[in-house]
Amino acid sequence: MTTATLDRRAVRPGFIDALRAERIKLLSVRSTWWTLLALVVIGVGGTILICAPNAEWLSEPGADEAPGSFITGGIVFAQIFAVVLGTLAVTGEYGTGMIRATLAATPTRGRVMAAKLVVIASTLFVVGTVTALLSYYAGNYFFEKAGIGMALEGDVARSIYGSGLFLAGSGLFAAAVGFILRHTAATMSIVLALMLVVTNLVLLIPGDTGRWITKLMPANAGSVVSTPVPFNPTLLDAWTGFGVFAAEVGALVLLAWLVLRRRDA
Amino acid sequence: MTTTHGPALGIRAKGLTKTFGTKTAVNGLDFSVEPGRVTGFLGPNGAGKSTTMRMILGLDAPTSGTVKVNGHRFTSSPAPLREIGALLEAHAVHPGRSARNHLRWLAASNGIPTTRVGEVLELVGLDSVAGQRAGRFSLGMGQRLGIAAAMLGDPSVLVLDEPVNGLDPEGIRWVRTFARQLADEGRTVFVSSHLMTEMALMADHLIVIGQGSILADCSMQEFMTDHAQSYVRVRVKTADVGVASEILAASGLVVGRHHGASGPELHVQGLDSAGIGEMLGRHGIVLHELTLVSSSLEDAFMTLTADSVEYSASEVAA
Repeated sequence: MTTATLDRRAVRPGFIDALRAERIKLLSVRSTWWTLLALVVIGVGGTILICAPNAEWLSEPGADEAPGSFITGGIVFAQIFAVVLGTLAVTGEYGTGMIRATLAATPTRGRVMAAKLVVIASTLFVVGTVTALLSYYAGNYFFEKAGIGMALEGDVARSIYGSGLFLAGSGLFAAAVGFILRHTAATMSIVLALMLVVTNLVLLIPGDTGRWITKLMPANAGSVVSTPVPFNPTLLDAWTGFGVFAAEVGALVLLAWLVLRRRDA
Repeated sequence: MTTTHGPALGIRAKGLTKTFGTKTAVNGLDFSVEPGRVTGFLGPNGAGKSTTMRMILGLDAPTSGTVKVNGHRFTSSPAPLREIGALLEAHAVHPGRSARNHLRWLAASNGIPTTRVGEVLELVGLDSVAGQRAGRFSLGMGQRLGIAAAMLGDPSVLVLDEPVNGLDPEGIRWVRTFARQLADEGRTVFVSSHLMTEMALMADHLIVIGQGSILADCSMQEFMTDHAQSYVRVRVKTADVGVASEILAASGLVVGRHHGASGPELHVQGLDSAGIGEMLGRHGIVLHELTLVSSSLEDAFMTLTADSVEYSASEVAA
């Protein structure tokens, strides 16, 4: 009675199977959908709130900021939800004890981790890019009315998929910390404090040291690619910055993998 | 079930040891769990049962020693869910995910067709509530979902950690029947429990563990014979107690004097009640009571593990 129809020819499961499992996991809990909805709404809404009241002023000759600094302005808020998504996808398993079921089904731990990260990153890249695109159309509506509309090309176009990349990287950053800390509240508060608070506090450090620390902070280095013109002109170039951010995320992922491989589940 | 897994079916532990800091949770376990029978893994809470089971599944790494499943380490299993089905103590389920989706991701992770999800849901009787969030499940439904997950890959080895914990009598009977059936199909079934009575009804073979070490490893039958002691309770006129005790002791029987509810009584081991009755009768001693008393398996288990219980009641009282 128990043997029913399952084919006994053992199919050796691989990375694709782990990827499918992680995709089902991510999409089958409500928190994912709420988080993604919040990411889009806050991302686009934030951009509107920044662009609408500033459009007139930006069109005047004396304006000392570029409209390009505003057009994806909501992405910095969307980043919060990318962090939430990346955290929950990992620490949710530790909180419930489900990680044991996961690792008993896929004992190759690196495969579990890689599959999770790919699913988190690709989801955030797609949703982040769509959010940035909607932000552009929403913000540009006000800019066009003021006569300073921007074409979707060059740095503007780059900032759209750059936003997707930045949010994907932020999610991975949180996921890696999640694997290390295994605790939802601890992971979220540490990552958000680092990205939103510490990032701005280091501006207070005087001299070259302060300038360099500011440039290299993950949220600073990674966010330049998500905006056509950064508010802070002293930050690294878009792709240099993103390279630094990617290296930081990569180092954290490596550390998380070493920890996951060695630690008892 | 076919025997396509080679010769070394089942679970083999050799010198399996796990220490957490200075505390030794599992100390040099040597045991084997054979296919075709239910092996009970019995011990008080904190004896090291769950740690051992986590090491079998590769979740915890042994400090020393090895444990192999079907001849190899489980972590190198080519198709894990088809090899071991595991029910872990904590309900390893996200409360916000439906039972069906929980089984779907598990199936996907091992390339098991989605049709199998419906089959195992039906198998454990959860098909009507498959769309409900697992967080709303009762303890019994949660255990059933855990067993459904364990059966997804139609595995040759089942590792069930405290499967009857918190179940109602009907659920307990269901698990018991189910475990027996799986063993009869030729599978290796390894079931942990801290309840002797439950093991007595379910297991063919018993591995008893206390403070990380094996206290007994034998068939259920042997365990009963060796550990479930019985004695004959003898009550005679108060004036005859001393004489009766001497007569019985002189014949080489083990005699203990006790004070029961209805006065002094003798607990005699080494001869059946008929023999004891005749022996005392020959000396003209009138019997008030002659009863065979079997101490339960639960008592036997308590006696065996008394020294190894980590936090016993008396310790707390002191």
